[in-house]
Amino acid sequence: MSILANKDTRVVIQGGVAGVNAARRMAEFCYLNKKSLYVEAFVYPPDAGKTNEVPYGSGLLAIPVYKTVAEATKNHPSINTSLVYIGADRACAGTMEALNDPHIKLVSMITEGVPEKDAKLLARQATKLGKTFNGPSSIGIISAGSCRLGVIGGAFDNLVSCKLYREGSFGVITKSGGLSNEIIWICSQFADGITTAIGIGGDAYPGTDYVSYLEMFENDPKTKAVVIVGEMGGDLEERAAEWYGAKKRRIKLLAVVSGFCQESLPKGMKFGHAGAKEGMKGEGSARSKSDALKKAGAIVPPTFGALGPAIKETYEEFVKSGQIVPIPDVPASEVPKLPKTVEQAMRDNEVTVAPLIRTTISDDRGDEPCYDGYPASELINKGYEIPHIIGLLWDKRLISKQEAEIVKRILMLSADHGPCVSGAYATILAACAGIGLSQAVAAGMIMIGPRFGGAVTDAGRWFKYAVDNKMTVDEFLAYMKKNVGPVPGIGHRVKSLRNPDKRVKELVGYVKSLNIKTPCLDFALQVEQVTAAKKDNLILNVDGTMAAVLVDIGFPVDSLNGFFILARTIGLIGHWVDQKRQDSRLIRLFDYLVNYAAPKRREVPPLK
Amino acid sequence: MAKVLEGPGMGLMKKWGITVPNYVVVTSVEQFNELAKVNDWIQKGKLVAKAHEALGSRFKLGLVKVDLDRKGAEAAVKEMLGKQVGSITVSQVIVSEMIPHKEEYYASVKSTRIGCEILLANCGGIEVESNWDRVKKLAVEVGEKPAAADLDKLAKEAGFSGPVAKKMAEFANKLFTCFDNEDAQYLEVNPVVVRESDGELIALDAVTLLDGDAKFRHPDWNFQFAAEFGRAYTKDEVEVMAVDSKIKGSVKFIQIPGGNIAMLPAGGGASVYYSDAVVARGGKLANYAEYSGDPPDWAVEVLTEKVASLPDIKHIIVGGAIANFTDVKKTFGGIIAGFRKAKGEGKLKGVKIWVRRGGPNEKEGLELMRKLKDEGFDINVFDRNLPLTDIVDMALQNK
Repeated sequence: MSILANKDTRVVIQGGVAGVNAARRMAEFCYLNKKSLYVEAFVYPPDAGKTNEVPYGSGLLAIPVYKTVAEATKNHPSINTSLVYIGADRACAGTMEALNDPHIKLVSMITEGVPEKDAKLLARQATKLGKTFNGPSSIGIISAGSCRLGVIGGAFDNLVSCKLYREGSFGVITKSGGLSNEIIWICSQFADGITTAIGIGGDAYPGTDYVSYLEMFENDPKTKAVVIVGEMGGDLEERAAEWYGAKKRRIKLLAVVSGFCQESLPKGMKFGHAGAKEGMKGEGSARSKSDALKKAGAIVPPTFGALGPAIKETYEEFVKSGQIVPIPDVPASEVPKLPKTVEQAMRDNEVTVAPLIRTTISDDRGDEPCYDGYPASELINKGYEIPHIIGLLWDKRLISKQEAEIVKRILMLSADHGPCVSGAYATILAACAGIGLSQAVAAGMIMIGPRFGGAVTDAGRWFKYAVDNKMTVDEFLAYMKKNVGPVPGIGHRVKSLRNPDKRVKELVGYVKSLNIKTPCLDFALQVEQVTAAKKDNLILNVDGTMAAVLVDIGFPVDSLNGFFILARTIGLIGHWVDQKRQDSRLIRLFDYLVNYAAPKRREVPPLK
Repeated sequence: MAKVLEGPGMGLMKKWGITVPNYVVVTSVEQFNELAKVNDWIQKGKLVAKAHEALGSRFKLGLVKVDLDRKGAEAAVKEMLGKQVGSITVSQVIVSEMIPHKEEYYASVKSTRIGCEILLANCGGIEVESNWDRVKKLAVEVGEKPAAADLDKLAKEAGFSGPVAKKMAEFANKLFTCFDNEDAQYLEVNPVVVRESDGELIALDAVTLLDGDAKFRHPDWNFQFAAEFGRAYTKDEVEVMAVDSKIKGSVKFIQIPGGNIAMLPAGGGASVYYSDAVVARGGKLANYAEYSGDPPDWAVEVLTEKVASLPDIKHIIVGGAIANFTDVKKTFGGIIAGFRKAKGEGKLKGVKIWVRRGGPNEKEGLELMRKLKDEGFDINVFDRNLPLTDIVDMALQNK
């Protein structure tokens, strides 16, 4: 047996993330006890209609979320208990809603910082309806082997070491959450463990006091003794003493009270919980409470540390008189173990996992990203620049200052080429249609291909092929004609020998001035001499020039289009922002710009 | 519990229909003189000046002056401002009109478990404290209002008769309404006086304690709460409070001058048991501290730095029960960082550190603490198998 929380308890949790975490802890307890989860619903208006995931063993349960308590109990009529995890400003209304639901008999509130008036109103309503309101600021209620409400009992390991998978003989009532756990632990080490432990919360006016719970424990034959952990302030301990002393009780009462230090502290200095404050005339002091409990016949050890031995003594007396039959310990092998997460099992060297992806360029697991092993901040502080990062991430090498300068110039020359080219035009069109930045830039990006900006890789590949195979220009052109088609990197829509592309001149001039070996560029220029002689717009274009230079400074062929994509992204973003800034209107083609070559209007024949 | 000074306290009472004397709260002589120009009552009537600070026995300290004219009040303001009393500097003075009266009464409303109690007595001032049996009470359940007949009865029981009884019942009703609507925990008017000019009841003084947790529904609480223990908060206390107001969970810190046992325990409940244990073993507390509710590590680090900076400490008690959900490894990470920083600043010399704790990730957390030994800390670390407060016994054995 137990009180308040038992095998018939069915729970709705009111609240968001904190409530879901509590449900997870409760599911761990259910797993330990080989029972199914008794949390049937959540109430949290922002997530109504969704489900919350609660791990159970190695599986996952989906628990529905409702907008109101009434909806939850209508769909889950066996719910009889609510746990409140709502913020202090809305907790009163939410708790009232639960108390007023005819299905719900017990409401336990974890919320801290609830105004005293609200707590009193809730306690009054509960009394009026004959229900139990536990809290505010309650860590929860736990009945060994059957039911856990809230996070009371702590982590899974602690549940096991406190033997919370089976019932003992001690009841526990505390104001403090941490101390409830401490007493549960002491009861499991010095005696046979607990029946039920209740955190009533440390507020000045808890919804339910010691006396109501003592009365319940008195009527629970399995509970032989109750441990109370009290504090200075209020009169709860005095009233418990009064109840205990009023007549012969079946249960033994053990109690400790904190706050003796107040006697030697400056007046008015307030410690600990909200309720831990002395009355104006010294009433509610630790000493007066402790004395009252002693006088009523309770066992009151002088210090908290002496509580363990006192519990042990009480337990042994019960064993001697035959009222408690010691329970043999459950062998560790029979206690369920919580499945480990993959991360934990890996840390413990228990599993190996085949990685899904493999990376050789970058690592984000430290306090900052490392590019090919070099910390980003160190690169910055040692004067490296964007081209070096490109070198590290695209080709896994630290390029030289000179190479970086070439890369920088390539990016600067190709950043934009006006609004008329396919990429910019697509981005502008999208921007005018109200499309967002990333999609509009992507629209421009999609244009990059064999006819616009996307020939760099191919140009590089074939020039390199020719150089690697020591081809002559004639051999190369013949080979291309036979196997590939037009030479990538040669030819321009508007530029020609007479109207040269300044960008090409600039880049070639710079690279040539450096006195470095440029076999691909040299070959490409030789090709141009032949092709341009045939037709004057078959010049080496900017794609071809970039490609040849980049191959010459060692970049892999597959990365070459990346230089154009990267550079042009700067321009595309610029065009999008520019249209946005002007608040441009939607545009469409004028029909005079279209050659309507479709058949003339005609009659639709009857459907056969 | 949040204490409110007289000025804002009277403001709240006035809001709910209680007549209070005219008053101004000033922070400089210039401000007083400006206010005197536009307030007739300052120029013409008799005045009272009081230091507007959370100080007891202001009369004895010469911080209450009565029967003043405008000039006299100006002199009193000048004299009181900047006066140092213990750790408190007088920064505000409340100047109010003096109400000529003969009779003094007592009225208060205090929070009780079921709701509140309205208390009345037909004596006031210091007289009521020596005649507590003359105070009569009326209990009101939360959510209810006192019936007019019950208030009349209360006034009669308290010894009022005739028109004053009726007025006193009305006064009690207004005080209750203020209490109920302002989330008060305690309101006291002592004395309530009968104004000679028109027989009206006036609240001459206001003790106001509000429920700080209810601040969220009182946007007009634009005043500061006063420190409750007769001294101003220290710089370190204010810094910890600022951290506390920002985080999930809590960190608390109160300094106690003259002690040599520093406290850094976890939990609102356990921390007091640790403090008790120190006092029971004859130790002198250097502070109270507490962290709970799984606070972030940086907040615990700030708290640790403050604790480690306490003067003349011999021991630091890093105690705690078995946590439910406070991550021991994470919070200990904050404590360790704080200790390292303190050591780097030359603190913690000759200080012994005592640790006992349980809870989520306790093994890892305790192991990290143990490793501090290798860095030269004088630290003793125990797990849940050592009873809660035994570290205090060990620390104080050879004090």
